[in-house]
Amino acid sequence: MARDTLNLQIHLIQDELLIMGSMVEEATLQAVLALKNRDINIARQIYSNDRLINEKRYSIESAILILIATQQPLAHDLRLLAAMLEISSELERMGDYAKGICKVVFNLRDIEIPIPMKDLEGMADKAVNMFHRALAAFISEDADVARAIPAEDDDVDKLFLKAQRFIFHTMLQKPEIIDHSNLLLWVAHNLERLADRVTNICERTYFVATGEFLELETEPKDIQGN
Amino acid sequence: MPELERSTSNFAITTRDLDIYYGNFRAVKGVNLDIEPCKITAIIGPSGCGKSTVLRCFNRMNDFIPGARITGSVLFHAEDIYDPKMDAVHIRRQIGMVFQKPNPFPKSIYDNIAWGLKANGVRGRLDSLVEQSLRQAALWDEVKDSLNESALSLSGGQQQRLCIARALAVKPEIILMDEPCSALDPSATLKIEDLMRALSRNYTIIIVTHNMQQAGRASDFTAFFSMDTDRAGMMIEYGVTSQIFTNPRNKTTEDYISGRYG
Repeated sequence: MARDTLNLQIHLIQDELLIMGSMVEEATLQAVLALKNRDINIARQIYSNDRLINEKRYSIESAILILIATQQPLAHDLRLLAAMLEISSELERMGDYAKGICKVVFNLRDIEIPIPMKDLEGMADKAVNMFHRALAAFISEDADVARAIPAEDDDVDKLFLKAQRFIFHTMLQKPEIIDHSNLLLWVAHNLERLADRVTNICERTYFVATGEFLELETEPKDIQGN
Repeated sequence: MPELERSTSNFAITTRDLDIYYGNFRAVKGVNLDIEPCKITAIIGPSGCGKSTVLRCFNRMNDFIPGARITGSVLFHAEDIYDPKMDAVHIRRQIGMVFQKPNPFPKSIYDNIAWGLKANGVRGRLDSLVEQSLRQAALWDEVKDSLNESALSLSGGQQQRLCIARALAVKPEIILMDEPCSALDPSATLKIEDLMRALSRNYTIIIVTHNMQQAGRASDFTAFFSMDTDRAGMMIEYGVTSQIFTNPRNKTTEDYISGRYG
């Protein structure tokens, strides 16, 4: 089979994307743990490590552009490279969500505030789990798995609603720390958005595997309601 | 994807169950192709897949090869060009051809254009027809002050545009191009591609090319040919160029397009 150079370069970029993915997973779980332990030092470290995630994104983008310019990839190769360009940018934004959670940890300082930790941890675990499998499905180009994952977003949304209710309750009970409670809403929001972006990755996987754009529904039936 | 059920007269060229033989050897088999008028159609495929053979059969250039014959039909606006009543010279005037290597006559630039007109019985007012053809071929500005110089003094790219002008002079409807840029450098190649795009407003262009990037850049439709196990060339996939190059439906097309063929 011809095109050894192109094949090799594509594999290297896929590896980089997986490394970037694990950096994002780590950052997300650590950020939630830092919130749980109210550990400002760890939060600071994750916050500054976001720079490494951003650098990874630029190096992936640059490698893809060089490959397009020098190897003229077409058909499946072209779809795969275009998808990786898109996904690297999704990962970069996901990293920003972890960074945002760290910012909340600083801003809460040592204020005493009830945190719906169980729900937030549940959201992070579920979202990271979906994310991990979505990235694996992308590498193996498994369109069926990619189609199935977005529906699991329901579980994250349910926990999001629970966390939100808890935080609203705190706001009513302790209006003097309403600004801090609001920060916790952002934590829940970031985790919810992270899970949403998993759907985008799955859509790209479907595109690479089939050549077709398909909007994968996450069925947001409970989000607006009770 | 062109719709096969459209009336054949809507297409510039239609082939039905076309087989082409050289003696007993079947070089091409089972081609059903509808060429859209005023569009650029590229025929691509590996060496030996019969793409030039198919192109040459569109204006009966294969008539010159002993033992060459076809079965099936080639329709030009629903008229069978292989009908014994059809005049091959008349067909070639309507379906012109530009070859791989620029082949101007060893005469002046002017005579290269005028000769074809004279041979077709055009009298008088040749100057304006020569100018018009050279302008259409985007060559006029470069040669207007040297019309009496030898065509062989032109660069390769200019010679190829002269050959296009020569083909245009007799006012064809279709222009067949067989690897028209393979002897040209990249900038001369891009000039020919721009020219093809401009000409496609008024002419139907069918181009055979080995250069996939060229097919991608310059054509509206792409037909991919490959060789079957009996060594006969056959059409594997035909579709809108953007689809063929991003999402081919056939595995063999995918392999060829992405450079993994063979």
